[in-house]
Amino acid sequence: MPETDWDEGREIRMTDSRTALTRLVGYAQPHVKGLLVVVGLAVLYVGAQVLQPWLVQLVIDKDLLVPHPAFEPILLLALLYLGVTLVGLGANLVQNRRLQWIGQRIVRNMRQDLFSHVESLAMRFFDTHATGRLITNVSSDTTNVSMFFTQFLLSVIQDGMMLLLVMGAMLALNWQLALMSFLVIPVIVLISVLFRKKLHQSYQYTRTQFSRLIGYTAENLGGMRITQIFHQERKQFQLHTELNRRYTGGNINEYRWSVLFNRSFDALGNLSVALMVWLGGLAVLHHGIEIGVLFAFTSYIRQFFQPINSLTQNWNTLQSSLVSAERIGGVLLEEPEIQDAADPVPVRWDRDGRAAVRGEVAFDHVSFGYVPNQTVLQDVTFAVPPQSFVGFVGETGAGKSTLMGLLTRFYDVQQGHITVDGVDIHRYRQHELHRMMAIVQQDVNIFSGTVADNIRLFRPDVTDQAVQEAAEIAGADEFIRKLPGGYEAWLRAKGANLSLGQRQLLAFARALTFNPKILILDEATASLDSHTEMVLQRGLTRIAEGRTTLVIAHRLSTVRDADLIFVMDQGQIVERGSHQHLMAQDGLYADLVHRSVPDTMAAL
Amino acid sequence: MKPQDLMRSFLGSHRWAYVLAIVAIGGAEFLQVQIPHVLGQFINRLKAGATPYTVEHYALALAFFAACYVVAFGLGQLLMGQLARMMEYDVRQVLFRHWERLSSHYFQQHSVGDLLNHTLTDVTRVRQALSQGINQMSQAVFLFAATLYMTLGTINVELTLLSLLPLLLIPAVIVAMGPRVRMRSRRVQEALSDMAERAEESFLAIRLIKATSNEDTENGRFAGLANEVLARQMKLVELNTLFQAILPMLSGIAFTVGLLLGGYDVIHHVISLGGFVAFSAYLAMMVQPLMQFGRVINTFQNASASLVRLQVLLRVEPTIVDPAEPVRRDWRGEVTITHLTYRYPGSDARVLDDATVHIPRGSVLGIVGRTGAGKTTLLNLILRDYDPPPGTIALDGTDILDLRLEDLRELIAYVPQDGFLFSATIGENIAFSMPLVVPEAVERAASQSHILDAIREMPDGIHTEIGERGVTLSGGQRQRTAIARALIKSDARLLILDDSLSAVDTRTETDILRVLRRARGRKTTIIAAHRLSALRDADHIIVLDHGAVVERGTHEELLRAGGLYAELFRIQMGEEVGVHA
Repeated sequence: MPETDWDEGREIRMTDSRTALTRLVGYAQPHVKGLLVVVGLAVLYVGAQVLQPWLVQLVIDKDLLVPHPAFEPILLLALLYLGVTLVGLGANLVQNRRLQWIGQRIVRNMRQDLFSHVESLAMRFFDTHATGRLITNVSSDTTNVSMFFTQFLLSVIQDGMMLLLVMGAMLALNWQLALMSFLVIPVIVLISVLFRKKLHQSYQYTRTQFSRLIGYTAENLGGMRITQIFHQERKQFQLHTELNRRYTGGNINEYRWSVLFNRSFDALGNLSVALMVWLGGLAVLHHGIEIGVLFAFTSYIRQFFQPINSLTQNWNTLQSSLVSAERIGGVLLEEPEIQDAADPVPVRWDRDGRAAVRGEVAFDHVSFGYVPNQTVLQDVTFAVPPQSFVGFVGETGAGKSTLMGLLTRFYDVQQGHITVDGVDIHRYRQHELHRMMAIVQQDVNIFSGTVADNIRLFRPDVTDQAVQEAAEIAGADEFIRKLPGGYEAWLRAKGANLSLGQRQLLAFARALTFNPKILILDEATASLDSHTEMVLQRGLTRIAEGRTTLVIAHRLSTVRDADLIFVMDQGQIVERGSHQHLMAQDGLYADLVHRSVPDTMAAL
Repeated sequence: MKPQDLMRSFLGSHRWAYVLAIVAIGGAEFLQVQIPHVLGQFINRLKAGATPYTVEHYALALAFFAACYVVAFGLGQLLMGQLARMMEYDVRQVLFRHWERLSSHYFQQHSVGDLLNHTLTDVTRVRQALSQGINQMSQAVFLFAATLYMTLGTINVELTLLSLLPLLLIPAVIVAMGPRVRMRSRRVQEALSDMAERAEESFLAIRLIKATSNEDTENGRFAGLANEVLARQMKLVELNTLFQAILPMLSGIAFTVGLLLGGYDVIHHVISLGGFVAFSAYLAMMVQPLMQFGRVINTFQNASASLVRLQVLLRVEPTIVDPAEPVRRDWRGEVTITHLTYRYPGSDARVLDDATVHIPRGSVLGIVGRTGAGKTTLLNLILRDYDPPPGTIALDGTDILDLRLEDLRELIAYVPQDGFLFSATIGENIAFSMPLVVPEAVERAASQSHILDAIREMPDGIHTEIGERGVTLSGGQRQRTAIARALIKSDARLLILDDSLSAVDTRTETDILRVLRRARGRKTTIIAAHRLSALRDADHIIVLDHGAVVERGTHEELLRAGGLYAELFRIQMGEEVGVHA
């Protein structure tokens, strides 16, 4: 099934329907026994339903139409009727719960597998796939797939069984009349299929229009201030009117089709009863059948409609389940791009959990591009001595952050080597490489949870004491204690209950918790005010102690006193040296310094 | 307009359509109940002996009633549903227009998500009540009355009443269980959205997670929420399946009673065999309206809660309003701020503390200060996002409270901090305030804010869609687009930039400032910024600290004074900072 509604990100490969189905079946495998029980119970339930008109027919023909009717057999049959009904309902109840139990467990497992698979994929995957899509995969696609088990399968079992048993009962009662009645089945199927397609289309159209309307409303609520300041209320309202009109039109159209469909079904049902009266009545006259049988037939012919309707409806469920299953299958097919070496170099760890490495970092003729034919780094070579503090400066897009992405093996170099203590980083296990280093990024991710959990990243093996020590060294302890609840204060992922400066301090504490030998700082943004930055600088000085520290500097002041500064331009290192050295050189670095301050005070 | 008034006037202007719809539904139900009656009579005639002609007659009668019923009912349903959807349209229009009138304060107090719920849930629920609710209610009432009339009249009172007893429990069960089912299903939805949120959090922080090798912890955390979804789902299933079993059970019991008593009555010739057959059909018919009674009650309960919420929303009045007698004349653009002290509504903290500034026509004022010093608040008060106290902010000597809001904002070209853009084309965003402007003007503004080259590289040039809130643009491009959007208002007297250059690099900043100097002409300009380099053109700079103007002067004067400004400058220059390994 082709996929068209993807508007962002690279398309994930989709598996074909067969592979998708196989995968679904794979998840169901451990539940085969349970599913067999479900089928058994469904047979019981449907059987009970089909038996009901039969019993009434027996009452009419065997007890009421006889010359001297007696009450006892009626009592017996009525009690039997009640018993059959109750057994059927009981079976249905158990069956329903059982099936849901299985279906929900399958979805849960699928969700967990999918999530941990996504987490294992390489950064490149995240660069090319919109996060929103992935979340949809995990939440709503899995929900759609669950409907395959809880709705489609149920419908096939119940409705299919119902049709078969009703037809069987009719054949048993009177096969000639039964065969004539079956003529109505193709008509029902035809109407269902035709309408279903139209209904689906108009439903989709309405949904699309509705989400446009809602999207537009949401955006305008967010930007109402801008609309008002630029005084464009009328124009924005006109656009809203247009979208609202389209949605309402689609909605009314959809409603018309559904009324038409339901009433046609209704009409067909009533007409087939009339037809039954006509055919059956003539049969009674010619003593072919008894009156009770005619009654049963008028009941049974109505029982055709419900299961056929439900089956066609669930055909759509199957379609959307399959599309979702294909999407999920596509994600699961992605292989983690970055793999561990077959014979990794082990890293020794000291008692404090620090890696026994010196922390010497070297890039040796490294070239790299995110996409073919677009080099971001070109033949970069440099060495950082252990425990030194080095800065990387340059305009946006010069390739500074890419260096760090390569060092952490978010991406693999295309040419050259990167070494830590002389060992190529490819030869370390990824998780050991990562434990040697810590990275503090521009945007600090906050998770919904307590401050302490945010620092220890929810790892159960990090004690409260370790968290607090890290916060103290980073200079975060002071503000954390002032929060309501201190370390137990609740943070929200999206809520802005921490200032940018506080977030940065928290990120420092986070980095320290894991005792890295190499510290990478993608320095805080320009939107920090200068005062806050000064506080951060002090924290930075403390946490850099005893570690190799690599800083990507946006403000030159951060790296003024660095041991070594690398100046980058268009993917290359164009200057290197200390601040004084570079200023004396009067090259790009000096130029950057001059431009960062007001004209009058540029000379330093 | 109150939602009740809205509904009343809508019902009033469409009253004949409603009458027609109700009559059609009533008529349809009257026709429908004839069907079992005809069936019963047919059985009796058949038992007594009939000709093929009578059989044909009854079959045709059945077909006739069926056809008429379907047409009448379809008509009623169609009318009712269409009207409700038209009403929904009206409510959405009223809602959007109402929001457009409300002031910034309101939008600051309510999240977009909460507001959207009104249009997503509340409006839809009210429509459902009007469409399904009235539809089902009239159907149920007519059908129940007609069925009861037929059974009582043509069959047997005792039989009817006794069999009906278990059925009467149906609406009670629905009303009792409906809200609990909804409650549990809401809990499932909550767990699902928690789970999606956790996934989002984790995917967004993937770099951090990978850099700390924290995948296993994250998997564990996600698994916990996936289990929670499962647990709540099963709770819902428990209730739902029970619910689905009870209703057919009640009708099964009613049917058993009918079978017993009906059979007894036939034996004792109280009713005919045909009557018995018709009765069992009526009994089946009665289940439907009784279930609908229960559902309709739930629908109405939901809708009335929604109606109240809409009512509360529509009752909110804008806090910023036009003066009774607005001053209108040609404005030159001199701004005077006198002893301005400001607290946000409902707060005691002084955001601005006795601030006094004079901004001569055509001059450039720079505002600096730490985060939270009051820079943005000061700008927002000039824009009348919030109302300043009377007599504190004047334009050409006239209190800005005496201007029409529309006129004041017409005079201002404003660049917000966040560079908010709409999901339209980049050209439409730049020409936001003047949709009819010629493309050349758009390009001129774009070139002034140094975004034109970037636009020309885009796939569709100026007609490139920039996605929701401009996601396809970088932060710097967004800011530059927002600057172009302000610059296109060439007639504005005041240009306000609220830290609008923070995301562009210093080279671009220099260029934009140079262009601004030429483009702003005689506009009075106010620039708030963190980065002091953005203020190099300012004629006059004020330094805000805790809402008060603590220093003022030119850049040189302020440096010489050696106060907060000089300190900020030193920090940015990196003088006091020592970083060592």
